[in-house]
Amino acid sequence: MKKLLASGLMVLLLVPAAFSQELTADEIIQKVNDQFNTETSYGKSKMTIVTTSGQKRTFVQESWSKDRGEKNLVRYLEPRRVKDQAVLMLNHADDIWMFFPRTQRVRKLASHAKKQKMQGSDFSYEDMGSGDAFIDDFTSKRLEDEQKEGQDCYKLELIRKQESSSSYSRLIMWIIKENFLPVVIEYYDDNDPAYLLKTMVASDFRVIDGIPTSMKVVMFNQNDNTQTEMELLEVKYNITLTDDLFTERSLKK
Amino acid sequence: MREKILLKIARWHATHPWRMLLIAIFLTIMFAGFASQLKVSTHTSDLLPSGDAKVEQFNKIIDEFSTATSLVVVVQGDEPRIKEFADHLAPLIVNARDTSKNEINQKKIDKINSKISLLAEKGRNEKRINKLKEEIQSLQSQMNRKMFQRVDYKIPAEFLKEHMLMLVKEDDLKNLKDVYMDPNLIGLLTNLNNSMEKEYVGQEESLSTREEEDGAFSFLDGVENLILTLKRAAKGETFSETGTQAREAAEKILFGESYFLSYDKSALILNAVPNFTIMDRELIMASTRSAQAILDEQLPQFPGVEAGLSGSIAKEHDEQVYSQQSLGYTTLIAFIAIFILLIMSFRMWVAPLFAILNLLVGFIWAMGAASILVGQLNLFTQTMSVLILGLGIDFSIHLFSGFTERRAAGESVVKAMENTFLKSGKGILTGGITTAFAFFALIVSRARGMKEMGIVMGVGLFAIMLATMLVLPLMFVLRERLKEKRIVRKKKVKPIIHRDISFRFLGRTCDWLSRKYAFTIVTSVLLSGFLIWSAVRIGWDHDYTNMEPRGLTSMHLMDVIQEKFELSMDYALVMANSVEESHDVAKDCRDLGSVARTEDISLFVPSPEQQQKRIPHIAEVGQLMNAAEVKENLTEADLATLRMEIDRLEMNIIEMQDMAFIGGKDKVDGKCMQIVGDPDNPDSPNIIQEFLQILETDNPEASAGLSAFQQAFAPYFKESVTRMSSTDSLQMDDLPLSILDQYSNKTRDRFLITVYPAGSIYDGNFLNRFADDVERISDKVTGSGPLFKALLRIFGQDGRNAVILTLFVVFLLLWIDFQNPKHALMALTPLALGVFWMVGIMHLGGMKLSMMSVMGLPLIIGIGIDDGVHIMHRWKHEGHGKIRIVFSSTGKAIFLTSLTTMFAFGSLMFSAFPAFGQFGGALFIGVAACFLTTAIILPGILGIIERSSKKAQTQKS
Repeated sequence: MKKLLASGLMVLLLVPAAFSQELTADEIIQKVNDQFNTETSYGKSKMTIVTTSGQKRTFVQESWSKDRGEKNLVRYLEPRRVKDQAVLMLNHADDIWMFFPRTQRVRKLASHAKKQKMQGSDFSYEDMGSGDAFIDDFTSKRLEDEQKEGQDCYKLELIRKQESSSSYSRLIMWIIKENFLPVVIEYYDDNDPAYLLKTMVASDFRVIDGIPTSMKVVMFNQNDNTQTEMELLEVKYNITLTDDLFTERSLKK
Repeated sequence: MREKILLKIARWHATHPWRMLLIAIFLTIMFAGFASQLKVSTHTSDLLPSGDAKVEQFNKIIDEFSTATSLVVVVQGDEPRIKEFADHLAPLIVNARDTSKNEINQKKIDKINSKISLLAEKGRNEKRINKLKEEIQSLQSQMNRKMFQRVDYKIPAEFLKEHMLMLVKEDDLKNLKDVYMDPNLIGLLTNLNNSMEKEYVGQEESLSTREEEDGAFSFLDGVENLILTLKRAAKGETFSETGTQAREAAEKILFGESYFLSYDKSALILNAVPNFTIMDRELIMASTRSAQAILDEQLPQFPGVEAGLSGSIAKEHDEQVYSQQSLGYTTLIAFIAIFILLIMSFRMWVAPLFAILNLLVGFIWAMGAASILVGQLNLFTQTMSVLILGLGIDFSIHLFSGFTERRAAGESVVKAMENTFLKSGKGILTGGITTAFAFFALIVSRARGMKEMGIVMGVGLFAIMLATMLVLPLMFVLRERLKEKRIVRKKKVKPIIHRDISFRFLGRTCDWLSRKYAFTIVTSVLLSGFLIWSAVRIGWDHDYTNMEPRGLTSMHLMDVIQEKFELSMDYALVMANSVEESHDVAKDCRDLGSVARTEDISLFVPSPEQQQKRIPHIAEVGQLMNAAEVKENLTEADLATLRMEIDRLEMNIIEMQDMAFIGGKDKVDGKCMQIVGDPDNPDSPNIIQEFLQILETDNPEASAGLSAFQQAFAPYFKESVTRMSSTDSLQMDDLPLSILDQYSNKTRDRFLITVYPAGSIYDGNFLNRFADDVERISDKVTGSGPLFKALLRIFGQDGRNAVILTLFVVFLLLWIDFQNPKHALMALTPLALGVFWMVGIMHLGGMKLSMMSVMGLPLIIGIGIDDGVHIMHRWKHEGHGKIRIVFSSTGKAIFLTSLTTMFAFGSLMFSAFPAFGQFGGALFIGVAACFLTTAIILPGILGIIERSSKKAQTQKS
């Protein structure tokens, strides 16, 4: 009983100490990484891109993700022209397959496509591939906290590691202190760390199945002067998904 | 001192009018000579600081590369017809010659020859004879001068036939290897399909930038052409031409489209490279006229084909023509409007006639002075005619009013002239000097355009002022002498008619405003508050096409090029010191989203490292193709395989189409649609299905036709691929002159990179993006876009500095003039508020700020100050309690001078050049605003002062 009391007191003493302790950049990015990579998820989203002739085109798609984002499947619902067209991404988008319903064929895309624009959007497969990229590819440095988009945020600078093949030389990230979700991420040029390539702005934060989620993400592409909006219409976390879903065969279903 | 000089001039006029006339004529002839040398320029580079790095780079480039500028012929119509027209037109333009100087130069040569003969007869002056012979040579070189070096409208096919594979990137070569190993139709289609299916692997990368999307488009275009040719062959059409068509199909697969065709194939561009630079105004005008004449002559022979001129040369020509025409008729409008106004105000026609004559003389002097000082008129200083007209007429009004008043009072010509010079001369000098110095304040500007505006306007105003002092009075004196002679002859004395030409209504109103000063001040504050609120809300007009003349063919065709080729011809230029530097800059530019296309020498001379990497792949292609066997005919089994491969090709293109659709690549999607149809429209034509249907009907004609195609196609394809598989390293010396001259200078040590924007640089937001992008790649970048952006930035800074300096100079001059800072500030108040009223009214009228209207701000300070100065002078002269008289009399003068200035500036609004209209419109409103603030606010201020001094006097007494 005495021991229990003692340990209880210890906890009471330690907790405030832990809260008052300043988080390091590594600790913050680890929490961000954990938020991003749920075991499994399902989402229905709407994405609006700008075509090369300047017209807006909206797609509605369903997506499934497993093994903390290692496996991903995206299936188009709208517009009618691409209904059932599907993309399978494995190994954190290192391997990509695409299914074409009009020809009923599956084609493999190159692994280097990871760095390219995803489906005409301003997101690249690399941006969507999740995984531990923030930790594995970059060294984090904490900058002075700032208010961003009306949120009290941690500000981190992520500098690409020498061995990394990421297409960004560095990132600047504003992370909401309350839920560890990035509200703004700035992506800097591969060769010129001073040149801002893209800016991602997240909004409409909700807690779904106990997990903080940004329901709307806009990627501004400063180089092409375009932007892509992605809006989550529906999302579920930690659902049961079998590995069969993430196979070439299931692409055709 | 000032009075002494004025009196001396006055006496000279009165006593020696003929001598003064001779001096005036001599000066006018002399200045007219200088004025005739004055050039006109509409170049943006002439507005920027002369030492500006971008201007220096631009000047270096146009010195080194005549290809930095071009005359673009835009041809529209059906594809075969426009190609035919281009082939017909190109040699005619290349051989176009400038004959405009033939006649005049021949006359000069004849004269010189006569001189030479005379000198030779005398048997001396050998040196002089040689000099004259050199002169003849120089004159002869200007006769029948060839205006264009060449016309580019096709790819350099012969060079590509030799070296194409060496120019292909290593990654693409790996794919091409699989395609170029069998020259036979079926083998090629099989390999093409294999490659496309493999290409999907890399295709996502290939379609990620503009140039690579263009590559995919070009590839599909080749495929489309092949299918159409096969279809025709299978239908047995034009058998005799199958050979040619088969070879064309092979070339399109290997090299792409050979003409500079638009994506939809309805427009074609011919780029005529001149033998002169953009600075050679005469040749710009002559070459455009000549090319237009050729078009006008040839077009009737090609019904259904339209063609027009565009590019920097044609645009320069059109702008010159428009600006000269516009300024001609706007000056005429201003002259007529002012003439009518003066007749109505003075109720006589002699005064306006003399004033206009005086103005003409002064204008010639001003132009002559401008020629001596700056040599040419730029886009801004071209408006000087109307500006000087508007401002210069004021001097004449003051002088004429004074003289007629004195004569009407019965004074002799000499006395009247002396009094006029003493009374009005001082005012003219003060007003003129203040305004001229306000213009001179612009000399501190960095921008050459603003600096020259300050010099030209300041000196121009002095010239008019001088003319008013030296020419106008002698007209009065001569007229008076004529009148006296008539009176003596007719022995009749004409009664003197006293005319009250003051504005009593204005006097009464301003008097009321001064008495009700509390009401006046409160109303003025409220009104000014509202207009300041409006002024700060005015926006900047980012659509720079609003500054260009409407209906300019060259500008319209720029839009056509933008729409059909998805690029702008207002390219940026970079001069590199080596092929390597050129390669690096061009490579970085190609990755920019704001760039449509980048051309440089490295497209034709890859680096030695790149060549080394490519050689093994090229060698492999050569070996495979050499070893390939050319089949004579297509068997039944071959036809079955052909059907299968065509089927497969359709699927590949459908998948490519779906990829392009979700990737937002509209051009690729559209091209696929032309081949396999529109998935949203099942009835849309599918040329592959149409071809398959012909094959499935199992007719012998198809088999024979396709065999004929195979016989022509396969050997040619084999020969072409073998020829372009040369592994010899490519050096700069291997390039044909047409390519070398396009991308390098004559000494081959400077290289030109041409960067075509993806959007219009007349869209301010795009301009900033494009210029920022290319400047980030190289600080040496120049050309239309970067120069225009720099101009806007420098003008913004200069405009702000000029406003501050002008205000300071004006205040200083007023302080010296009034010898009282309070009075100087009082005179300045209506002006300061007038500027806000001007911008506020512009905003309320739906106007936006532009580069030209902003130029009006510092000018209005110099011009608008006169109203306050005259009222303050008269008020001080008359003493307290005379506000009604001050505004009836001087108020009328400032009302009239404001109106004449407004008419002059307002005439610019009729200009076909909207840029001049914006400038004139802003100044029109500015002059009106300054008059209104003087007539409304100043009486209130004067009322307060009179009231408080009266109070002080009462308290004293």
